[in-house]
Amino acid sequence: MSKSVAAASGHALWAKMPKANAELFALTYGSLVTELIRDYDSIEEINEQLEKMGYSIGVRCVDEFLAKSEQHGMTVPTCQNLKDTAEVVAKTGFRMFLGISCDVTMAPDGNAFSLFMYENPLALFVELPKTNDMPTAAGGATKKWEDLKYSNLYCGILRGSLEQINLRVSCEYIRDVLQGEEVNEIRVTLREVLQDGAGDDYKEE
Amino acid sequence: MGGFLHLFIVNKSGGLIHHRPLSDRAPTIGTNEWLRIGSTFHSLHAIAAEASPLRLLGNKNAYGADDGIEEINAGGILLKSFQTRTGVKFVITADPGTADIDYVLREIYVLYTDCALKDPFYELEMPIRCELFTQAVDLLIERVEKSGPGSFKQR
Repeated sequence: MSKSVAAASGHALWAKMPKANAELFALTYGSLVTELIRDYDSIEEINEQLEKMGYSIGVRCVDEFLAKSEQHGMTVPTCQNLKDTAEVVAKTGFRMFLGISCDVTMAPDGNAFSLFMYENPLALFVELPKTNDMPTAAGGATKKWEDLKYSNLYCGILRGSLEQINLRVSCEYIRDVLQGEEVNEIRVTLREVLQDGAGDDYKEE
Repeated sequence: MGGFLHLFIVNKSGGLIHHRPLSDRAPTIGTNEWLRIGSTFHSLHAIAAEASPLRLLGNKNAYGADDGIEEINAGGILLKSFQTRTGVKFVITADPGTADIDYVLREIYVLYTDCALKDPFYELEMPIRCELFTQAVDLLIERVEKSGPGSFKQR
């Protein structure tokens, strides 16, 4: 799908989606992360929990994306390669659900791509403390703010949604504006193209 | 006149996750029979792609979903199936000559994403037990039957 078609579809779909209050969205997510910080002992667990939550969202998101784009007359053409997938995710998907557009850079071997987000709706009003002491559960190990992947939800969402369309990927948050970088970068690496279940049983040897 | 008879939904692995009569004229089918129908259709859908004289690359059709049975037009019945790119199959049976089935299938997909998937207690691939979904499907069928055939252009 060419960049401009993906972007145009994204714009049009965003216009048709019901909207929620952006501040409510960001504050709800913020309190969720705060609770996780209180409940879990290690940062790895918190990041993992956020990713798992994102995964549950992602597996449901993709059907909504496919159904609604069809409903509004914007069929998303089948992606021929990972580059097409990346464009659709960044320009149409993110735009439709969050109202933001992302930039995409492909890796040289074509098996990975990076999504660059310049604004992050989840991190509205958020600032991470400069000091390195986090509230810990009683008896927990010391945790560092710099290890927290605040918006790790996105990684889960990407992994979940791509898995439903048979692409097994791993996603990692590489750069975070909350940690002082200029841009949010998520790296998505394609691990495997999955085969559908029924196909294997009936394949000829 | 609508003529819709039954709706059934099959998940990725071939299990039946929903079935519903869409009119009073629909024949009564027992739950076990429904489960058999669901898995039989799933298998036939896959076999049809393998047995087809025209084999598509990776058995994927132009839409991007798995190739397979899309329509069965028999003497007393019309069956239409819509497979999503995530592997879920929506199937409707109706009287021959019923119009707008494709439109209804796609609208039901949207209802599935809005009512069933967004239900926090609904687990993917499990039977759909969402009141909101069944009500919305009933309303959709009522709306389509009231509007008469051919009022919904297929995009």
